[in-house]
Amino acid sequence: MTDKPKKKIWSRRDFLMQSGGGIAGLALASLLNDDKAFAQNAALGGEQCSATFPGAFEPKPPHFAPRAKHVISLFMSGGPSQIDTFDYKPALTKYAGVPLEDLIGEKFAVRQGMPGPLMPSPFEFKQHGESGMWVSELFPHLAKQVDDIAFIKSLYGRSNDHIQSTYEMQTGQIRVGFPSVGCWVTYGLGSESSSLPAFVVMTDYRGGPLGGPADWGSGFMPATYQGTLFRSSGDPIVDLEAPEGLSDAQQQARLEVLARLNQMDMEKYPGNSELAARISSYELAYRMQGCAPEAIDIRSESEATKKLYGIDEAITEPFGKQCLMARRLVERGVRFVQLFMGGVGVQNTDTWDAHSNLVENHTLHAKESDKPIAGLIQDLKARGLLEDTLIVWHGEFGRMPISQRGIGRDHNPGTQTALMIGAGIEGGQQIGASDEWGYKALEQPISAHDMHATILHLLGLDHEKLTYRYSGRDYRLSDISGKPIPQIIA
Amino acid sequence: MPTMLHRMRVSIPVLSAVLAVAGILSGSANGQSDAEFFSHEIRPIMERTCWNCHGEAVQSSGLDLSSRDAALAGGNRGPAIIPGDAEASRLFRQLAGLEGPQMPLGVPLSDDEIEKFRSWINDGAVWDAGPATTVAGSDFSAFATDIPASARQYWAFQLPEKAAIPQVANFDHPIDAFLEQRRLEEGISVAPQADKLTLLRRAYLDIIGLPPTVEETEEFLNDNSPNAWENVIDKLLASPHYGERWGRHWLDVARYADSDGYEQDVDRANAWRYRDYVVDAFNSDKPYDQFITEQLAGDELDETTHESRIATGFLRAGPRVNFREKDNPERRWDYLDDVIATVGRGMLGMTIQCARCHDHKFDPILQKDYYSFTASIFGYVETDWPMLPDDQALEYLSTTAELDDRVSSIREQIRDIEQPYLTELKIERIRNEFPPDILEAVLVPEEERTDGQKLLAAQVLTLGVPRDQVDTAMSQEARAQREALRRLIEEVEGQRPEEPPMIEVVTDGDFRYTPDRAGDNVLGCPECRIQMDVPGSFLHDGEGAYEVPPAPFLIRGDPFSEGPEMTPDFLTVAKYGNPPTVLPRDNGRTSGRRLALANWITSEENPLTARVWVNRVWHHHFGRGIVASLDNFGVVGERPTNQELLDWLAVEFMEQGWSTKELHRLIMTSEAYKMASAYENEQNSLVDLENHLLWKYRPQRLEAEAIRDVIMATSGGIDLSVGGQPIFPYIPQEILDTAILFGRWDNQVDGPEVWRRSLYVYRRRTLSFPFFETFDLPDQNQTINARNTSTVAPQALTLMNNPFVIGQAGLFADRVAENTPYDIDLQVEMVYRTALTRPPTAEEAEVGRQLVELGSLNDLTHVVFNLSEFLYRR
Repeated sequence: MTDKPKKKIWSRRDFLMQSGGGIAGLALASLLNDDKAFAQNAALGGEQCSATFPGAFEPKPPHFAPRAKHVISLFMSGGPSQIDTFDYKPALTKYAGVPLEDLIGEKFAVRQGMPGPLMPSPFEFKQHGESGMWVSELFPHLAKQVDDIAFIKSLYGRSNDHIQSTYEMQTGQIRVGFPSVGCWVTYGLGSESSSLPAFVVMTDYRGGPLGGPADWGSGFMPATYQGTLFRSSGDPIVDLEAPEGLSDAQQQARLEVLARLNQMDMEKYPGNSELAARISSYELAYRMQGCAPEAIDIRSESEATKKLYGIDEAITEPFGKQCLMARRLVERGVRFVQLFMGGVGVQNTDTWDAHSNLVENHTLHAKESDKPIAGLIQDLKARGLLEDTLIVWHGEFGRMPISQRGIGRDHNPGTQTALMIGAGIEGGQQIGASDEWGYKALEQPISAHDMHATILHLLGLDHEKLTYRYSGRDYRLSDISGKPIPQIIA
Repeated sequence: MPTMLHRMRVSIPVLSAVLAVAGILSGSANGQSDAEFFSHEIRPIMERTCWNCHGEAVQSSGLDLSSRDAALAGGNRGPAIIPGDAEASRLFRQLAGLEGPQMPLGVPLSDDEIEKFRSWINDGAVWDAGPATTVAGSDFSAFATDIPASARQYWAFQLPEKAAIPQVANFDHPIDAFLEQRRLEEGISVAPQADKLTLLRRAYLDIIGLPPTVEETEEFLNDNSPNAWENVIDKLLASPHYGERWGRHWLDVARYADSDGYEQDVDRANAWRYRDYVVDAFNSDKPYDQFITEQLAGDELDETTHESRIATGFLRAGPRVNFREKDNPERRWDYLDDVIATVGRGMLGMTIQCARCHDHKFDPILQKDYYSFTASIFGYVETDWPMLPDDQALEYLSTTAELDDRVSSIREQIRDIEQPYLTELKIERIRNEFPPDILEAVLVPEEERTDGQKLLAAQVLTLGVPRDQVDTAMSQEARAQREALRRLIEEVEGQRPEEPPMIEVVTDGDFRYTPDRAGDNVLGCPECRIQMDVPGSFLHDGEGAYEVPPAPFLIRGDPFSEGPEMTPDFLTVAKYGNPPTVLPRDNGRTSGRRLALANWITSEENPLTARVWVNRVWHHHFGRGIVASLDNFGVVGERPTNQELLDWLAVEFMEQGWSTKELHRLIMTSEAYKMASAYENEQNSLVDLENHLLWKYRPQRLEAEAIRDVIMATSGGIDLSVGGQPIFPYIPQEILDTAILFGRWDNQVDGPEVWRRSLYVYRRRTLSFPFFETFDLPDQNQTINARNTSTVAPQALTLMNNPFVIGQAGLFADRVAENTPYDIDLQVEMVYRTALTRPPTAEEAEVGRQLVELGSLNDLTHVVFNLSEFLYRR
């Protein structure tokens, strides 16, 4: 932080000596007196930002030894097509042009317009890695990582509306008003870092995901647990820095007087812990001012690292940066990082929602995200972080194996492919399967509840014990039917 | 979409199979084998009362009673059963009340049932071979119509009665007498009365949510009459800002917002009229029973008014998908559930919604009760109503409907004229923009198309074509024909009456005939649509009386598993006497079911309603309800800390004509309300750390809206006009970008136009106003129990760095400097008197003076907005 005092203010030390210093006053004093060292430390990504302080989010012990300490959730907003990415369906070539209704023997509705006949994938599939997993030409970089990836080919949902399915994948419920996964994790485990939020969200540079802030909301839990939105450029958090016209010196003077007055006030209420918490919230806020920008400042990363994430190329730069920031956040103790790839601008092109342009749309979004995600996996692995970091990849639903006007695919909650990586999960395995056409989950259908139970389990939380009482009921993220996926937690 | 809906199937254990394997052991005296005794006598009780919480699915306290082995192993507190010794068995002891907590929670077994357990355990506690089913999991609950008589013994289901006011030394006020009695029992002594300034600020923030001005403070200090305090209370209750403050509390209960939520997040352009209705209702001290009745059945009253109709906005204030409802009939059940949950938790303190799929797990609420409740509201439909006298309103609606019909038939004719040209142009477009197989599918003669080609052709032939292309392609003659028709439309439109102000209301109708709304038409699979083969209409306007569509019971809550048709009824356990469930209306336009429901809810024979409201009012005054769980008076809710007091207040409230203002007066004139909050007493803390017995006043952080209001009131920038259209204070673009595509936010620059009270800030379901969110704005999609208070760093960041806050601090400094130029000491004093309703202490004055001298007055006003004291009501 640069000191550009407009006016001469008294010495901090004098002031604090005068105040006689309470505990908080002294704490603030040491912070302020040490701010030069602190700033250097922060710039280096030093311990100040990753240190563990007890606070409002005091870490809570898990129920059992965790396999993962951190989660990076990569949400592909709009709904990527499973049959054009990871769920290879050669039968679609055979059945091209045949009405799906004739094969499954029942009528069905699509989200937009009328159903078309089955349409093979326009993308070429090949087997990769020692495990021989099928990946389409859309993901050349991820294809090299298949032996680290568990492919869940039978994740299904209950709605074919974007928002309701996004809520389902994020909260377990298709109705609005329930806490998101990251919120449950924060509730269950608290925070590792007292200078950064426990649950950080970054949205696509084109805009937020379908569903908006409720996608990372706290529903009926206290708002404290909701995700904190980080912007990927400028100040990461709104109101993190004072607006122009207010110098650092002025702000510091205000903070000092505030600490002193609040301290005097607190002495009138010796039993009131809220007042002490309010004083320390200003100290934390002050630390966040240094640590949050540092956490997402990728300038200190090596060129090789940036290249790994594709930051050197325009098309991969935005998501590459966010993936790299996700790694930095995890390194600094952030528990749950939620990235949204695809955001509301022009929905049909800016998200994976390929109703009218499958080839163009998926080529673009795969290109934007393939290298960054592959880079993230490699980087975490190289730093020994992949062992206790879980990466999850999925969208709100999959897409229909049938054609939409010959050029697109409509929504399909019947099945999608989800990826899980890291946290000691056996890579190169396939879990569950969709039917011959990739229309519905057939073998080992996995619900959002199952996926959530799995995530909690990997973090050392018993999904049946992690409950929150609301309106007379003990709610669980996994509701009443979720079960961890055995192959993942094996 | 039915075909996509994942339905959970629960296997249904067959009771007869259980009975068939009975008789493994024998030897019981009454001729039944021990296992038969279990099957016939014990199992039904366990099914009903034990296994929901101590079964295979859930093991409360680690205890599983689903098998003999599990019961012998016991739970966290040790073995549950010692075979042969009932008196020593924990299960028996807790059932019989020999040790606590008595089981089942809240609903003790009858003596007869307890005796059955005694003899069963004494005879060896033998199980049969059947599985541990629960009533909830079986079909029997579909037809369970009774609850044990003992269920009503639970305190909340007993009608409240006034106990004699205890005679205690030092206190006359009934509230204090009840409180003091308990305090004396616990050896607790009370705090002294708070000083006058603290009291004044407390009352202002509590009743109107705004601090007293310096002049108002002077006035109070100078009022030396014995009625000074009462005068303040009267003045505040007469203020139009009282309704704004307390109306906001009710809007929490009503899960009010200005938009629908979900993907479309449709703007509710007239929802604010309901918000204003609520504000007015508090300001005019509308009796609470009438307030409830209007909100549930304002369209069914003997005399309906715009106001009473607007009140029904309560029923539709929750989130709605509002997109293709007709293709997703199950959503209707979610909306009914939203209403039931809101009425249940909000007005009755009962989680009735828990009985949607099975009998309530904890409370004596049957699944049947849920669907009887559904039947009471089943006729409700949401519609817009013109603010005109009734006959004119009906005329307006029928005129516009007729004009709509005429216009759409002319449009039909225009389409017929354009059709031939359109097809040609579409084919041209397909040729240019689509793959060859699509063109082929279209070009092949219809009868020769393969099944797949038929689908493709149907898909692409719905494509649009640019209007100018159609115009160019059309023949002269066709254009002229079309022109004539267009003129005809203009003519028809010319007859359309001007739209009067509209209100968003609920009335009875048939939801299956809801007119198409935006998004209802996009489904392409006509066969998938629910076909109505019975003639009917959305609103009843024909001959004869309106009839409610059949309201079914849903087996396990599944909208596709309809059970028997239900008739309206009320919560069995809370129903006294035989209140009517239908009150037929003379005009025959509605069913009178909601009115009957409202009458039952507001009856003096309802054990819950008055208690729940009195408790909510108490909560807002004291920061904690007598029952801390405001929305749950059931067995897993909190117990009242002083039931006699709660009951006395509830009865008094009803006797005073359900007047909320009288209730405020009663509470605020008690000594309990006037006690100091800055008071410590070690002995008290040992006995009652959480101050349940109110030995001092509980400091409370202001709610999000109040913080913003108090900042603006202190700066002097606030616009205190009451009511009207919502405002849209500035939100940075990057935050707006995170919100979904649809939805309204008419971002306004920061300035006097948006410095209105926070009550008027547009509530958009998919985008919380960031300032409010930081200060614990609750989720507005469900009725709210009580606001949470967190203390987190983002609050500090907002108060330190947010441009709005800094701007208000500047405004405050300017105002002070203008009124007291040059004199820093006076300025500091003014800042304190204005912002904190008190002069600074000598030390504070000194610190303040230094800050102003070395920095600026702006520094001080900004610091003051950040003080803990500023954010609390103490």
